[in-house]
Amino acid sequence: MARPSPAIGAFPSPYSIETPSGCEGWEEMYPYYALFDARRRESDEHRFWFWNSMHFPVPMPAFDVICIDSPYQAVGSWQNRVFAVPPAMGIDYRCVNGYVYISGNPVTDPATIAERSEFFARRAGYYYENWAQLYGKWRAKMDSLIEQLQDLRVPALPEYESDEIALRNDRNTSLYELLDAYGRLLRMLDLMWQHHFEFLLLGYGAYATFVEFCKGHLPDIPDQHIAQMVAGIDVLLFRPDAELRRLARLAIETGVDHAFAQGRSPAEIDAELRRSDAGRAWLGELEEIKDPWFNMATGDGLSHYYRSWLEDPAIPYAALVGHISALKAGAQIERPAEEVQRERERLAREYRELLDADARKAFDDLLGLSRTVFPYIEEHKFFCDYWFLTSWWNKVREFGVLLAEHSFLSDSEDIFQLSRYEVASALDELVLCWATGGSPLGPRHWPAIVARRKELLSRLAEWTPPPALGVVPQAVTDPMTIMLWGVTTERVQEWAREQEGGVVLNGAAASPGVIEGLARVVQSVDEIADVREGEILVCASTSPAWAPIFTKLKATVTDVGGVMSHAAIVCREYGLPAVVGTGRATAVIRTGQTIRVNGSQGTVTLVGAGPAAAPARESEAQRNDPTTVGPGCDTGARGGL
Amino acid sequence: MQYCTPLSELRVIDEPRFGAKSANLGELLSAGIRVPSGFALSSRAFASFVDESGLDGRIADAVAGLTAGDAVRIGRISHAISESMRSAPVPDSLRDEISRRYEGLARARGVTSPPVAVRSSAVGEDGQDATFAGQQESYLWVRGAEHVCDAVRDCWVSLYSPPAISYRARLARGSEPPAMGVTVQLMVDAEVSGVMFTCNPVSGDPSMIAINASWGLGLAVVGGEVTPDHYLVSKVTGEVVREQISAKQVEYVPDARGRGAVRVEVPPARRDVPCLTGQDLSALVDVGRAVQRHFGSHQDIEWALAREARPGERLLIVQSRPVTALSVQSRPRPADALSMVMATFGAGRREP
Repeated sequence: MARPSPAIGAFPSPYSIETPSGCEGWEEMYPYYALFDARRRESDEHRFWFWNSMHFPVPMPAFDVICIDSPYQAVGSWQNRVFAVPPAMGIDYRCVNGYVYISGNPVTDPATIAERSEFFARRAGYYYENWAQLYGKWRAKMDSLIEQLQDLRVPALPEYESDEIALRNDRNTSLYELLDAYGRLLRMLDLMWQHHFEFLLLGYGAYATFVEFCKGHLPDIPDQHIAQMVAGIDVLLFRPDAELRRLARLAIETGVDHAFAQGRSPAEIDAELRRSDAGRAWLGELEEIKDPWFNMATGDGLSHYYRSWLEDPAIPYAALVGHISALKAGAQIERPAEEVQRERERLAREYRELLDADARKAFDDLLGLSRTVFPYIEEHKFFCDYWFLTSWWNKVREFGVLLAEHSFLSDSEDIFQLSRYEVASALDELVLCWATGGSPLGPRHWPAIVARRKELLSRLAEWTPPPALGVVPQAVTDPMTIMLWGVTTERVQEWAREQEGGVVLNGAAASPGVIEGLARVVQSVDEIADVREGEILVCASTSPAWAPIFTKLKATVTDVGGVMSHAAIVCREYGLPAVVGTGRATAVIRTGQTIRVNGSQGTVTLVGAGPAAAPARESEAQRNDPTTVGPGCDTGARGGL
Repeated sequence: MQYCTPLSELRVIDEPRFGAKSANLGELLSAGIRVPSGFALSSRAFASFVDESGLDGRIADAVAGLTAGDAVRIGRISHAISESMRSAPVPDSLRDEISRRYEGLARARGVTSPPVAVRSSAVGEDGQDATFAGQQESYLWVRGAEHVCDAVRDCWVSLYSPPAISYRARLARGSEPPAMGVTVQLMVDAEVSGVMFTCNPVSGDPSMIAINASWGLGLAVVGGEVTPDHYLVSKVTGEVVREQISAKQVEYVPDARGRGAVRVEVPPARRDVPCLTGQDLSALVDVGRAVQRHFGSHQDIEWALAREARPGERLLIVQSRPVTALSVQSRPRPADALSMVMATFGAGRREP
């Protein structure tokens, strides 16, 4: 059923993107290598780049760029240098007006792909076979890293160093400790990302294979059902809420539930609780669970904006208020683990039975493998993205506090407006002047830079990045691009068509396939003799009397009818794309016009050309024409013939 | 000679004599599915009609040597045969039997002259060809034994419509006398009716029930005269996976004069109203699964929700047939799990 898709033009060149007014100089926030540089134009302009809106939805503050560099270093090293994923090396990124565009580096040479396949099969195979054991080691590595992070101290710069340094000679000076702490902090982030990607690719790959398998056999299966069949029952990520439910019950049992009134802020609730012994006891219980369960993040953790529940308890307190009021209303708030377990097994059993007999073994094996890898997929978020990252950003804040104390910054949060190199440079000057007793330039240097960048970021936030830049790829083959970002060939073509514009009619996707061709509008059965070989039939509806013409057609579009109407049934039989029930195709489309029928998605695009100029373009022209009187654009679309 | 049999006595084995529609309805009744009562005419009824009226020889001569593309000649022949058939009497013995069966339905229902649907029931390959599906006529809201007989004859006439003649000519079956049964079934005064597939006919997904529904009698959906409400419901969980509510412009309702169905505009206030409730949907899914289980294959089912019915008895099935022309998108070939995972990463793939 796969049909060649019609060729589509290009996305905007990355070198054609204009800087929004007032944002001149935005490039200073980013590393030299993160820009579309004229010296690299030859290659960069001819690649496909897409906006990574999933991980970087807002313009990047200068410091947060570290959470682009470090993960892309790590993912590339595992994918390209360790596992040697055959067709894909790593991912390049560039910043445009503060937004992050990415592009995979493909491997195209068949001999190299074959060579990499051997590495991959051996190494990935080892991981899949020894998953549980290797994942156990991973947990130990992460625990130790988080401990190191928590132990990292950011030294103050004292007026006089302590006696231990002077008399016992067993400690380094604060200047060294400070620079070392900063360096170690950055390296810990690199190590976290290193751990993060050790299992991620393989875990997602196994799960993605199961998803693809399910969708191949059961094309309409909701994603949720696939996840339900795989997801674990006793998963770490459910623990925080389980603890909150326990505390909600405790609040009622100890009679402090009145504090959790709707609309109160966490601070107001705490204040009320502190007024009674029972309330203070409850707060004590809360303190007990905060480490580690309040290390949940309010977002995906990749940006310093996301705080943990420890700093921003709005989410857990709202959950407590909800649980308490539900309990008092007599509702059951426990997560019904047994029921979830039963439903998970029931879904797996019933879907399995719906499969062709020869597909069931693969279903069982893929489901089994997915369930093996899934704990990592779910839990790494807690350890890496939530716990580690929120703690890590807080450590960076401690350096911000230090710099603010010494007036290098007006506010400790301003540290995120400087790049990690600039922070290193500011710290260098800080310790230099602390050592020499000289007068630092920093306080007169950094605040102005910070102010300008805050202004830049707020202006850049107004700009809407195009979904993609550069060339439209023939096909997206990079497994990571597909798996992690869901950027598939179809998605890219949709983006490209949106660029193209044109009128789009929506109907029911009645028979799959995409095809472009000349329309033949047939108003009644008497006109079917006019239909020529290879045309796309556009009509109100069809009946069995029309049967003979379908052999001539490329596709069918109707005004009325559903996916069980005659036109739909016949098109499926003949393998022709069909969109039915568009409502107005015969009124909008004219014979001879080029249209694109997407029978998989239920859209018909008028791609202009033919006797009718694209209506959108005509009305545009009219709007710009000072002699046009009144809103007469509608006639433009119907005029030509 | 007996030409008619109650639907409830038919089974799939009777298909060669009574046609697929009647035989399948008998199967549904045997499976305990709610189907309006009725009776079936065997294809021998048609044979005896052409035989006793002396039309058989004339028809055979007329269609001999026809080619499918000869539209002008086909049109002329179709017209001549139809005229002769309409003026020929239905044999008395058959007429009596139809009356007796019809009166039996009336007695069982407890009304005089109950409305019935008279439909052709294709025999053999005709019933399998989707492009040809529905080519033969259905007569709705027929009342009185005389009118039932006329409608039966009209069904036979539809065998000689121009598309039907050229269809047989195309299959080089032009000279064989066609065979056809007729189904006579109590009419459901449908508030809503539609079609349901026990899989998604577009994607081929066997875990879905696809439902098209619109106001009034089934003609509007089956004939593609409205864009119906479209639902995709998971068989596994019963949840509605996709739902498209359309503006349903027209519906067929019983003619106020008591006979036949008329096409009327749906009042604007009702056009965009979803015509099925969650309860209706789950009743449809349950019946759809039962029908699929009974036949052991995916079914294309016509159904109706009766206007005045006790709760739980609204839904009736009026036809079921195997799904034809199921588009099966390329399914992943069975392989072992690890090599499928490897293929996700582009490893172990052979160059074509």
